[in-house]
Amino acid sequence: MSHPHDDAIEALLRKQFDGPVRDEGFSERVMQRLPPRRQRMAWPLWAGVVAGTAACWLSLMFSPLLHAGWRDWVSGELSAPAMTLLLALAAMSLLASWWSVAEADDR
Amino acid sequence: MADSAAEARIDQSLVARALLGIDRRAFEQLLRRHQGIVRAQLRRLLHGDEAAADDLAQEAFLLAWRKLDQFRGEAKFSTWLYRIAYSCFLQASRKRSWPAGDADEGEAEQLPAAPHSVDLQVDFERAMRQLSTAEQTVLLHCVQLSLSHEEAAFVLAMPLGTVKTHATRGKAKLKAWLAAWNETATEEQTS
Repeated sequence: MSHPHDDAIEALLRKQFDGPVRDEGFSERVMQRLPPRRQRMAWPLWAGVVAGTAACWLSLMFSPLLHAGWRDWVSGELSAPAMTLLLALAAMSLLASWWSVAEADDR
Repeated sequence: MADSAAEARIDQSLVARALLGIDRRAFEQLLRRHQGIVRAQLRRLLHGDEAAADDLAQEAFLLAWRKLDQFRGEAKFSTWLYRIAYSCFLQASRKRSWPAGDADEGEAEQLPAAPHSVDLQVDFERAMRQLSTAEQTVLLHCVQLSLSHEEAAFVLAMPLGTVKTHATRGKAKLKAWLAAWNETATEEQTS
């Protein structure tokens, strides 16, 4: 709770303040001087995505785990390699969803 | 309070539209919504130098346009703008010397009570100029621009405790210097 004398001083301060200034062409002058917005470069993001995917593919292509997992999944058998493959896919999907939500929040 | 929340939401959506890069009109709306109060802030900081205040306000809005993607919505858009405008003011005052507002406190132990209430405004203006720059700046933001202590601390890049101290000290000094007016007012009420 504020002191009554403080209220009086605050009232005087507010009275002394002229408040917002009228536009009188100011906004138009600023808009005329506004430079074009630089677009954020997209190529580093896409280059990273392609490089990451290629690295993943190369490292897993010769792994027996991927082949066994894929074969079991296609034949409908829930073996350990198939479960590992499914869990990895689920984790990557969750990560992608979280990233999309975080980006949407920032905008 | 609800109005202020609604205003903040409008600002947020205008910022989002302006950031899409296709809608300069969204930034124009933000500019029109806030130019008046930012220019008023700078005019007070520059002790009424309207031309210099408008130059700085223009610089502040151009900077806001360039840095718009750094606005994360943690503070209100207006508070973010005040902060940019205040840093523009600080940078400019390092380059050239504006009247700082610091004065000899001994001169103003108590301002004499003038006979008419219109003179109160004049005395109050004089008393304000006797305050230190920091006290004037804090009172401008906390009282005249109606910011909370936390918001003023963000705008002025000052610790919260320092803001509160300057606000309390500034008001106490004004109260002491204008005591004669209080006495006159009390006498007028009793007679």
